[in-house]
Order: sequence, then structure tokens, then C-alpha cells
Amino acid sequence: MGDGGVQKNPGFAGITGDFNLTEAEVRGTDYVGQRPLDGGHPAVAGTMPYQVPPKAVDGPIFVGPFEERLEKVLTRYEDRRGALLPALGIAHEARGYLSPEAMEEVAERLQLAPAYVRGVATFYTMYNLRPVGRHLIQVCTNISCNLCGGEDVLQAFLQATGTGMGEVSADGQFTVIEVECLGACGFPTVVQINDRFFENVQPADAGRILEELR
Amino acid sequence: MAEEQGIETVHCTVNGMAVEVPKGTRMIDAAAHVGSDVPHYCYHPGLSAPAQCRLCLVEVEGSPKLLPACVTVVQEGNVIRTESEAALEARKAVLEFLLVNHPLDCPVCDQSGECKLQDYVSAEGPAMGRLADAKRIVGVDDFGGDVLFNGDRCVMCTRCVRFMREVAQDERLGVVQRGSRAVIDTFFDDGLDGNIWADNVVDICPVGALVSKDFLHRARAWDLDRTPSICPNCSQGCNITLQVRDNEVMRLKPRPNDAVNGHWMCDVGRLDYQWINRKGRIEAPLVREGDRFVPMSWSDTLPRLVDAVRALSSQRGGAVVSPFLSNEDLGAARRVMEAVGGGRSVYRVETGESVVLPGFPQLALREDRAANVRGSQLFGFERVGDGCATGGLEAVDNAEFLLVAGDDLEDAPADFGSGARLFIYIGQLLNPAARNAHFVLPATTFAEMEGTFTNVNDHVQRFWPALRPPGMARPVWQILGVLLSGLNGSPAPARPADAFALLGAARPEFGQLRFEDLGATGNPLSGAATAPAGS
Ligand code: SF4
Ligand code: SF4
Ligand code: FES
Ligand code: FES
Repeated sequence: MGDGGVQKNPGFAGITGDFNLTEAEVRGTDYVGQRPLDGGHPAVAGTMPYQVPPKAVDGPIFVGPFEERLEKVLTRYEDRRGALLPALGIAHEARGYLSPEAMEEVAERLQLAPAYVRGVATFYTMYNLRPVGRHLIQVCTNISCNLCGGEDVLQAFLQATGTGMGEVSADGQFTVIEVECLGACGFPTVVQINDRFFENVQPADAGRILEELR
Repeated sequence: MAEEQGIETVHCTVNGMAVEVPKGTRMIDAAAHVGSDVPHYCYHPGLSAPAQCRLCLVEVEGSPKLLPACVTVVQEGNVIRTESEAALEARKAVLEFLLVNHPLDCPVCDQSGECKLQDYVSAEGPAMGRLADAKRIVGVDDFGGDVLFNGDRCVMCTRCVRFMREVAQDERLGVVQRGSRAVIDTFFDDGLDGNIWADNVVDICPVGALVSKDFLHRARAWDLDRTPSICPNCSQGCNITLQVRDNEVMRLKPRPNDAVNGHWMCDVGRLDYQWINRKGRIEAPLVREGDRFVPMSWSDTLPRLVDAVRALSSQRGGAVVSPFLSNEDLGAARRVMEAVGGGRSVYRVETGESVVLPGFPQLALREDRAANVRGSQLFGFERVGDGCATGGLEAVDNAEFLLVAGDDLEDAPADFGSGARLFIYIGQLLNPAARNAHFVLPATTFAEMEGTFTNVNDHVQRFWPALRPPGMARPVWQILGVLLSGLNGSPAPARPADAFALLGAARPEFGQLRFEDLGATGNPLSGAATAPAGS
């Protein structure tokens, strides 16, 4: 990779800053682009990250490739209860959030009580319980990012999307929220958009990033 | 306590007192043996023990940390101190945390007076809270059925969640959210409707978070008199306490009995108590003279009754009894029927669907919706009528001696019994058909007397009087006992125990039981699975 004049580490993923590398160059071609919806190998089917959630908002979730993926996930656990988190993950990915109907469907597929599924779904803060935009923009404002202007980055995204915190933009594309440390403190400000990390983000980058996402 | 043969025991001391307990005993139970109640919320003997509330911490010599008494099993030689400074300090801290968001609305809380938060905080909690911030407010949620949830009062013990999961096996409750936002809820608007065991969560909730809508703001706990009794509403015979204020039953609560109902009871039985409080009861013996009834004292009535029965030469008898009568009542009715030469003896009972409690399958709401159907069978009464306890009275149509005891004849034709030469009606209400009787005698309900029921599994159980009977009402066994004594000169039973002792004559199995031995939880009849006696 480039030598001399390197100021920023391109980081693990996302916008590659001064290096001008594509994401595929950084992460390897096996790891970018549209993932198979059926989750690929069973070993990773539960955790396969997707960059843009498909939005088929109506009807059952576990049909077609998602059904296949759930089957694969189930092979990894001794009982159905164990598969609850990844199953919720799939539903979350398919819809962007967990609606009561989604919880009910998961409960039915795993033969668990809906009340129990609701309890688990609400326990973990990373499952959205309300609809979000197609791109969920999570701006870190914890210490490291905060010192380097995280608050300004947050404001920049709010302004660029024209939304208030947690709202869905009028075109349904974006929701901006503030999060605590994303664990990439070396590259402030860190912004997680769906499953991708954008590092070393400056307020001025917001507009460009949104353009790229559209 | 643990001297039975073959049970391995361990020794420990609790607060300086030596105790020997069966191996595997929890410290909390060992402490209870020596009379120290270790505060606890999440632990309930009928449920699994998650040890999550940390209110039962006790000091055990040799252990670097305090231990939860609800799950720690006594080991040989344990020296347990439930009131040590460290234990008290820890529990005080737990209680202070529980009070952080608690509304302290005891004056309007139904649990007040029987609330474990009140009890524990006044016993060993902090005198003052230190919280300066606003409290979290959850509000009230109607869970459906009879259950109302006051979220702010909840101490998050999860007993209710575990009851629905483990015992009702219908996991409708869960903990939603976490940390300081955690709250008990059903799946959105689903509620608890349709589960007939749901009200048990009200009983096991240690605080006023789950309360009964039926009982809501109707009485204060300290105004209630509690009498051990038996649920009269099906042949399971759940052990209960009748909770009474001003001579009126306010609610039924289950009373533990491992042989019958565990810690539980069903909502159908629990909420069907208004009939016990019925007004408009017959209060005095009424004796027909011509076409009118003359109210009389018992001492005037009973000789007339004896004479009337003696004067009867007829052999054609008929009896209608109620399966809500006690064994003693039924036994006396059986003996009267034998004294007059027998005849069709019937009872009528309402039936319904049977519903088993999955986590405690010995307990079911039984098809027969009356407490002493088994007793009625054992004493030789035959079932007639339909599943609504109506019809079937043709069986006694041509009786010349007609005895009706307990059955209130609500559906009987207006001329019922008018053909009988002697019609004795012993009951609570004067329905039109009862007006054809020659003698109308006021009887107590089970709640106004002492006696026994035989449940569906031949378990004979005692109940005690909780209410003052109206006017001159007497138990059926007492009335019929005096009649029998007038007929054959035998001494009339004076106490329920005497009446019980007479049962052996009709059913020898009863002869093997002693009234005094039945205690609060009853005893099984041995070898009673045979055909009913009598005609
Ligand atoms: S509602 Fe009552 S039983 Fe349920 S967790 Fe709260 S305090 Fe415990
Ligand atoms: S199961 Fe039967 S005896 Fe028990 S509470 Fe219900 S009605 Fe009463
Ligand atoms: S503080 Fe932002 S990633 Fe750690
Ligand atoms: S009763 Fe022991 S931890 Fe709750």
C-alpha cells in the first residue's frame, strides 16, 4: 500500500480516506458487495453482515433465501431457544427493525412464547424496535470521537439528512442516531452505517458519504 | 424433624441454634425450622430458584462472601448467621435499591398489610431513602383476566414470569427492557385472558404490583378474618382460606397442600364466591299449617318433624341432596333414608370442561363443579339431571316421603313434591317448589359450619366456619341427627366430630379415619374405590 505521505490509517473497512483505495481492495473481494441472502456457509449464516438491507416490508420474513438461512442457523444450535438471537438478527436485517409481527413470526418459527421473544428483543439495545431508514447512521460521540469533533459530525449528518435524532428521513433513506464507543477509538470520528464502519469522518464528509449511499 | 429412617441428614447451626435437616435442604428452609424468616423475593417453594433478587444473603462461617440462602444447600457443619452485621448491611442495601423507584403508595395499595416490601423494609430496611432524583414511572397495565399490573410497585422478582412459564406452562409474561427500564409485560396487547390459572400470579407477587381486579380496593388486608376451608367449586377440593370482612366473603386464597393443590387454585373457583354471600336466606324453621307457613323455634319444630316422619307408613321414599353438602350431612341423609325404608336418592351437579394445571398435574379444574360429588357417590346418591344441575327430578316424582337437602330446586316445576305425603325441605333459599314442603328448615352453607368434603381422589378434608349463619340456620347433619335420634333413640351428634364418627356405619372406610387426625390438609380414604354403598 502507498508509502510516504500516509497520514491516516485506512482502517478495517469503510471509506478509505487518503489512500483512495476501494473497499474491495481493503477488505478483499470475498467480503464486499451483496452477500448471498441465504447466508452462505452455515458457520457464518447467523452473522453475515449486509451492507444494505433489502426492504420487502410486507408478508412473512422467513421465506425464500431467509428461510434457507434460518434453517442453516438452526443447525448450529442444540435447541431452538439457542437460535433466538441470530433469528432475530435475520428478521432485523430483513426489516430494519423488530416489529411485534416480526417477533411473533420468530416466536412461531422457533416455537417459543412471543412474550419471551419480546423480552429478549427488548433486552438488547442493538435491535431496533422502531422503523429506521434504509441506512442507519450511528455516530460515535464517546470520549475519543468526542474529543475529535464527534458532536459536530453528528450535527453534520443530522443537517445533511434533514432529520432529528432517531427520525426517518422523508425519503425513507436515513436515520441518524448517536451511539457510545464503537470500539474503533483510534480512528475518530467513527460512524457505523448499517454494518460498515466509516472512520476518520469529518463534518465535511457527511454530504459526500450520503451521496455514496444513495 | 429428620429422624425418619433412611433419610440422610446434615447438621448445622443457624443463629447459634443447632439444627438437623435432610441432606439437600436449602439454608432458607433450615432457617425457617428455627423460626428465622430470611427475607426473600425471587424464591418461592413452588417455583425454580434463580437467586436473582439477592435479598436472602446470609453469612456462613468460612465463606468469603455472603451466600444466597434460597439456593445454597446446607453442608455438614455449616455455621449460618442470618442476622449478622454483614448480612443485615447487604440486605439493607438491596432494599434501598428496591425503594429507589418504588412509589410508596401503601395507603392506596391492596397489598398493604401483607406486603413483603413493607414487612422487610420495616424490619431491616433503611429508615430513609437517599434518592434525590425523580422516580421512574411505569403506570398501570390491565393484563386481562383478573390481573392488574402496577408497574411502579414491582420488585422484579420474576415469580410471575416463572409461574406462567413453569407451572401454567403458558409463557405469557416476560421481562421487557432491561436495567432500570425493565418491566413485566405480556406480548403487547395479548394479556393473560383465557388462562384459568393466571390469578395465582397475584398470590405469589410479594408486593402490590399484581393485584386482583375483583378485590381491587374492596378491603384492607388487616380487616380480613382468614379461615381455612376448601374451595367448594369443583371436586378437586383445593385448600383455601376464606377471607371475610363483616360476615361477607371478600376473596378466596389458596392454602398450600402438596397432596391436592400445591400452592395454587384456579380462577374459576377463586372468583365464584358471591353465592356464599347470598342474601334472602331462610332464617327460621317454617312449618306448614293448612296453606300457610308458621315460623317456629327449633324446639317446637323438631318434635313435630319426628312425629310427622313416625306417622308415615309409606315405603316409597325419595331424596334429592346437593353435592355441596358435607360428608356428615350426606351420611345423615343416607341414614334417614334407611330409617324410612329407602327410595331413590339423587343429586344433581353442574359440569364443565376439565382443565389440568400442566406444571402440577395433580391439580385440575374438574368436570364436576361441586366439592363433594365423591362424597355423594360414596353415600349412595345417584346422579341425575343435566350438566347445568337442572332436570332429573322425575326420579323422585312419586315419592311419598320426600327429603330435599341443599338442592335449592330453582328449576323444579311449581308442583314439585306436592304429591308427597311428607316433604321436608332443608336448604338456604325458598324457591317456589320449596313452598310445597311441609317443613322448610334453614341450613347453613359450608362456609358457616365445620365439616369435611371428600375430593375426587378420595382425599377427606376439613373446613372450618368462617361466617355467622343467618338466623337459626343449622348444619344439615345436626337437623337430621336430631330427627334420627327422635326416630330410633340414638344420641344425636353434638359436634362435627361426632357426626363424622357416625359415617363409618354407612361407609366403613370412614371408620378408619379420625376427625382430629385430618388436620388442616386432610387424609386419604383407603380402599374406597369400590362401588357406592346404599340403594
Ligand atoms: S409483578 Fe410481582 S411477581 Fe412479577 S416480578 Fe414484579 S414483584 Fe415479582
Ligand atoms: S380446581 Fe376446583 S377446587 Fe380448585 S380452585 Fe378450581 S374450582 Fe376450586
Ligand atoms: S470513542 Fe468513538 S469509537 Fe471509541
Ligand atoms: S430469594 Fe434468594 S436471591 Fe432471591
